[in-house]
Amino acid sequence: MAKRSDMDHGLLLLIVALLAWAVPGAGHFFIKERRRAYIIFITIAALFLIGLYVGSIAVIDPVGAWPWYVGQMLASPAVAIFGHATRSGGLESFGKPHDVGQIYTAIAGGLNLLCILSAVFMAHSGRGEIIGSEEDE
Amino acid sequence: MNSTLSILLASFTTPIDIPTDPKAMMWMFPLLLAIVIVYKATKLRVIFPKKFIREVTLLFLTISVFMILAGVALNVFVALLTRS
Repeated sequence: MAKRSDMDHGLLLLIVALLAWAVPGAGHFFIKERRRAYIIFITIAALFLIGLYVGSIAVIDPVGAWPWYVGQMLASPAVAIFGHATRSGGLESFGKPHDVGQIYTAIAGGLNLLCILSAVFMAHSGRGEIIGSEEDE
Repeated sequence: MNSTLSILLASFTTPIDIPTDPKAMMWMFPLLLAIVIVYKATKLRVIFPKKFIREVTLLFLTISVFMILAGVALNVFVALLTRS
């Protein structure tokens, strides 16, 4: 098998990273780590949705709580849609539900960062395809 | 169909009620479970369902027990400090 050029390899890593950021678990899915991908997607999506349900989408506040927003954005760029919705107004959340919602959504983002790094590392070392086939057996 | 979707979306625009009491600490357990699942999903070399569930359960219980013991110890410490 022909060895990939450095540029192809860099492009592959970039694609894996972008996919993993866009949809939690998609990076692992792309490198044939299917089981890992399903587990990551279900867990991170559930954690993020529980956070939104508990504190409402007002917990995504790009203006008043931007450090949390940075963490939340790590879950997916789609979070910016919620950020745009809350910026333009009317929604408010206070107290314990706000805290719990903010923590859940930001931790979901942090966990997705871990998964992005994991997917990129697996793609870099070629582990994805090897382990993916081991899982299929 | 549309009304169901509206109700579903509306439930994400109003926060639920969580009183500030000791029971609110229970919210840390689903968070802990999610962290453990994702950590093990990235850590294990190969994901075999039985092994994965066993590892997740073990780590979840270990951290839960440690956090409960830490909470009890801190409560006892504060109670001793504030008694006098």
